[in-house]
Amino acid sequence: MNTVEDIFSVLEEKFGAKRDTQDKWGVAAIVSAAYLHNAALFLKESAAIKFEMLVDIAGIDYLTYPNHEGPRFAVSYAFKSMSVPGARIRLKVLVGEADLKVPTISDLFANANWYEREVFDQFGIVFTGHPDLRRLLNHVEFVGHPLRKDYPAQKRQWLSTNDYLLPALEKRLEDLGYRVVQRSKEVGTNDNEYLEGSIKE
Amino acid sequence: MIVLDPNGEKLNLMPLNVGPSHPATHGCLRFLAAMDGETIVASVEEIGYLHRGFEKMVERGTWQQVLPYTDRLNYCSAIMNNIAYVRAVETMFGVEIPERCKVLRVIVNELSRINDHFVCIAAAFQDLGGTTPFMYAFNPREEIMCIWEKLTGARLTNSYARIGGLYRDSYDGFEQDVLAALDSTEKALKDLHACLDRNRIFLDRTVGIGKISAERAISYGWTGPCLRASGVASDLRKDEPYYDYETYDWEVVVGTQGDCNDRLQVRMAEIEESVKIVRQALKRLAPGPVDIVDPRIRVPAHKLAYQDMEGLIGRFKSVYEGIRVPEGEFYCGSECANGELGFTIVSDGSGHPYRIKVRPPCLTQFAAFHELVEGGMLADSMAVLSGLNIIAGELDR
Amino acid sequence: MTAEADKPNIITASLDFLVNWGRTNSLWPFPYGTACCAIEFMSTEVGRYDLSRIGSEYVRFTPRQSDVLLVAGTITYKQAPILKRIYEQMAEPRWVIAMGACACSGGFYDCYCTVPGIDHIIPVDVYIGGCPSRPEAFFDAMFDLQKKIKDESYMKQRAERVKDQLEMIKAKTAEAKAAAKDFAREKVVDIKDFMTSKEQELVKKAQFWKE
Repeated sequence: MNTVEDIFSVLEEKFGAKRDTQDKWGVAAIVSAAYLHNAALFLKESAAIKFEMLVDIAGIDYLTYPNHEGPRFAVSYAFKSMSVPGARIRLKVLVGEADLKVPTISDLFANANWYEREVFDQFGIVFTGHPDLRRLLNHVEFVGHPLRKDYPAQKRQWLSTNDYLLPALEKRLEDLGYRVVQRSKEVGTNDNEYLEGSIKE
Repeated sequence: MIVLDPNGEKLNLMPLNVGPSHPATHGCLRFLAAMDGETIVASVEEIGYLHRGFEKMVERGTWQQVLPYTDRLNYCSAIMNNIAYVRAVETMFGVEIPERCKVLRVIVNELSRINDHFVCIAAAFQDLGGTTPFMYAFNPREEIMCIWEKLTGARLTNSYARIGGLYRDSYDGFEQDVLAALDSTEKALKDLHACLDRNRIFLDRTVGIGKISAERAISYGWTGPCLRASGVASDLRKDEPYYDYETYDWEVVVGTQGDCNDRLQVRMAEIEESVKIVRQALKRLAPGPVDIVDPRIRVPAHKLAYQDMEGLIGRFKSVYEGIRVPEGEFYCGSECANGELGFTIVSDGSGHPYRIKVRPPCLTQFAAFHELVEGGMLADSMAVLSGLNIIAGELDR
Repeated sequence: MTAEADKPNIITASLDFLVNWGRTNSLWPFPYGTACCAIEFMSTEVGRYDLSRIGSEYVRFTPRQSDVLLVAGTITYKQAPILKRIYEQMAEPRWVIAMGACACSGGFYDCYCTVPGIDHIIPVDVYIGGCPSRPEAFFDAMFDLQKKIKDESYMKQRAERVKDQLEMIKAKTAEAKAAAKDFAREKVVDIKDFMTSKEQELVKKAQFWKE
């Protein structure tokens, strides 16, 4: 009978994972960004307990964390096993401010797409290889990344006109095998509407 | 827009925007569909129209002040979110809550689940054009709301749970009220089944619509009733039991097709299971304390604060400085009405949360929306949307 | 015409009464429900509270068929342009109810993404407190709105609405009159010139024949 601890020791052996001492209640492993994709693939497909479900991706900013040493950001991945109920494991990738890059795992888990977009939106961490890295929760004209600790909570930013999704739709059509010959004209915002119907402080 | 389809044929598609203010989008969901006649060829979703900054706001208050924000995550079953949050924090403390508190939490949890599922079913049938089930479903819901008012003082956003206990013990006559509410729930369920089970229009519009396979649903991270409708018997109340859920006699409801009809039927069947659990829990409800006695976690009672110096200091410290959750990081998920509501908590050992990340069940379900509707009719997308039960407050936080 | 419409008389007063009676008892709301308050609005709709008692059971989801814009829930910056657009699409007369703390003031979401009260974007007639507002509070707001509507005068509003048009018509009439006058004056001058030239011709002819 394998336990999550066994999986962790394999991770330690294969991918150079370190135990995250912060997590005293579960099993968490710190892996380097280079090994993340392989580690996730291993957890999903070839581990003794298969972790089929990606539960959550959370970004963390350690800027004001007391006595913190090391890189400023971290991305934490929570996995859950469907075949062995109750087995969970977390992976953590530390990301320095100089090089805000983490490889994407959206090719392994379908829901990683939106989770990574959210982390990009809130923290500005770039996921290399992500098919469609746009903001998810904040609007298109937003400047900065609100969940960083140095973003003032009350710094408000107005949106002047509604954002539109046509480029995303064209991309989706191309993914499905269609080829756009002629773009539709109606949907683009015209200047007049932009000026008159806009909201400005 | 003019496109060439994979076979090289020319198609004239019309982009159609649905939402965010659309009767079937329940608030603030939006999708843009490329339409070929009435058929959706491709669709993209956009969220964030109700992004209220939960994760930024909670970093400013104390650990207890997070509770009202959790109410407004899934506002159809507010108490459940409270309990999911306090369970995560209590696990970090490593405390065991009293027996009566556990049973009471189970009762309010399951009543909330009934409430939430009723809203989903009511809204779904409203969107499909049936007003009668809407009225049927809201009657027992109003009765449960009355219990909430007596128990917590609020109708919708209750903030009933506390870290290390409950806001207060139940009132006199609580059991009778709950039993009466359960009776009317069962009656409403019977009415709903009579309305819908053999309703031709309803079946035509939901059976086989928005199908998803179990593998795909798992890859999308679906949890809760929507995953169970695809045939995966995954329920955190059984898998990682808490509050003695494993000792109650109930079944995990599983669907077969993974279509829109299954999602709604699973919800209706889950209401029945919840009724069973509540009936058993009411029998276990024995007198006893509901709060743990530890001034570092749970605020001492008012009575103590007025008579006792230590109680006064404990109350003062707890309210002004906040409780000190042990330093560390932890992910804890609980089974809520829509699925697994998880909290990734980072604590730096002070009285304020360093970071709390919510794992909303709705986000993963809405992320798969385009796969469910592509190739179907536009009217079917409304049925799919209401079957998924997307709650915007939870989706966007 | 404007002055006449301002003065109430038996016809305009009865017309006002009739119009207001109709409007107060058939307020069709457009529920712009985004968050928790929308769920309470649903409770208001159904059996126990029953919004149809005051003739508002017809919830219209298109701005063009509704009278009351009911903003129930938090409005974020991402949503603000949409709300404004919907308000602009509504036909007069229109009223706005801000339901719940979030719509009134942003509530306890004092944050980078929430609008601190919808009155930054659109005018509001009635505010309802509460997080979320109870159905009773919602009814109270509807009664307040009905009172407000009863005080309104249809004829006055109409006069105000057509004031610009009237002024424009007046200005145009004056312009036309002036133009006509100028034209007439020119004609008269022309005729006079013609007459004098004719006279002179006649005088010349007479002189010719004399010679």
